[in-house]
Amino acid sequence: MIEFKQVSYNHPDGTNALNNINLKIKKNSITAIVGNNGAGKTTLVKHINGLLKPSKGEVIIENNSTKKSSVAELSRNVGMVFQNANHQLFADTVKNEILFGLKNFGFDQDYIDKRYELMTNLFDLRKYEEISPLKLSGGEKKKVCLASVLAWNPEILILDEPTVGQDELQKNILFEFINTLHSNNKTIIVISHDIEFLWRLQPNIITMSDGRIIEINSPEKIFTDKELINKVGLIPPQIIKIFNGLGIEKDIPINLEDACKRIQGLMEE
Amino acid sequence: MYFIANGFIYRKSNSIIHKLDPRVKLLISIQLFTLALLVSNLYNLAIIFIAISIFSLLGKITKRLLRTMIFATGFSALILIINYFAGYSLIYSIQIALRFIAIVCSTSLFFLVTSPDELEYVLRWFRLPRDLVFAFVTSVRFVPVILMDTLQIIDAQKSRGLELEKGNPIIRIKKFIPILVPLIINEVIRSGELAEAMESRGYGISKNPTSLYSLKLINQDLIVMFITSISFISIIFFGY
Repeated sequence: MIEFKQVSYNHPDGTNALNNINLKIKKNSITAIVGNNGAGKTTLVKHINGLLKPSKGEVIIENNSTKKSSVAELSRNVGMVFQNANHQLFADTVKNEILFGLKNFGFDQDYIDKRYELMTNLFDLRKYEEISPLKLSGGEKKKVCLASVLAWNPEILILDEPTVGQDELQKNILFEFINTLHSNNKTIIVISHDIEFLWRLQPNIITMSDGRIIEINSPEKIFTDKELINKVGLIPPQIIKIFNGLGIEKDIPINLEDACKRIQGLMEE
Repeated sequence: MYFIANGFIYRKSNSIIHKLDPRVKLLISIQLFTLALLVSNLYNLAIIFIAISIFSLLGKITKRLLRTMIFATGFSALILIINYFAGYSLIYSIQIALRFIAIVCSTSLFFLVTSPDELEYVLRWFRLPRDLVFAFVTSVRFVPVILMDTLQIIDAQKSRGLELEKGNPIIRIKKFIPILVPLIINEVIRSGELAEAMESRGYGISKNPTSLYSLKLINQDLIVMFITSISFISIIFFGY
């Protein structure tokens, strides 16, 4: 369980980034955070692995306050993949990039070897292991970043804008991958502006604006609330637009196949 | 790092000092810098610090200039200790240390109240080569961007268990490799992209490009220039 208790955060220059945040994120859940630029999404998640400490209030991860732990201690259980892969990659080979976190956390060699094998197979990176990660394409770089974080098997995974710069194929792989992690009892938090991706993923959605949480609800409730989505600068997914156009506001299908069947049914009626 | 860098980064403001012609601001900074180099007693150093305080108050940059001072104090303490143990008197060592703070503050004062655009106009007014001016001003303009990149890279590596605060000095220096490599690569990529973007918008086509703005001294600038120059000359000739 991740819990924010009356958390406020001010940047070093004094600007208020989070304002009295109260939030509970259940274990083994998928949660998405949406909102316009500067809403405080990244600032919020940086509190989970202790990169930022609250100016007021408390963040509690598995009954422990983040104030008492270092970033390294918290990161053992909270993996965070940043938006820009180029901010993370530095090693001479993909292999060393993946091993970086495992070595930092001081795992024994057997475990390191086992996890490395698993990651290279899972992300299909074996062919690149002796290549510099900087020479890879954007999608491959993102894979290396994910592999290098998942390598130490954190219980909570935070993905900051994971679909940015990804083609549809990569997005599909990411979608499958998040669902696999979820079925392996991981807690996943995604920051994204990719509404179509979030609609497919069907996470709990936290909407933020001006450092505050405006609403926490299901994607259907969030994306059909026109006033809310206007306020946070979102556009509803295509499926919702189509069904709203047909006068349907509830029980909107999630995938394209179901949507087609439903429309076919409507036409027959 | 953010704390230190903030002592050198320009922020827009409506103060009297911000509104001055950039050449006047440069002149004030050079005068303070020169005085800091030339004065030899604590009394004159005190005058320099009073002048810096007045300009920072008028420029509404006191807080940020204090950060610069704190940053410079660390180095000046080192200067004081080295001088003292090298056999110089305590008073002389303090003077040298204070001189260093005054030099850093006079430079910081200029950069805190002068936008990169104004800096460009001043350098071009000196008839410096356009490419050189552009390269210098761009590097100043990119300081906050590089700072943000650095902070993000530190966050990304800390999230993978990198502990910069642990270990002996050699290990700590080695720990900066995961910060420096992505930073340098990012900036090389960014400079390449910037060069392409500039070229695709016609940079370099005209040898003598026109400018929307030109520098003009107004009464306010002339008054400030007169007062500071008189004070500067008085201290130089009568003060030490």
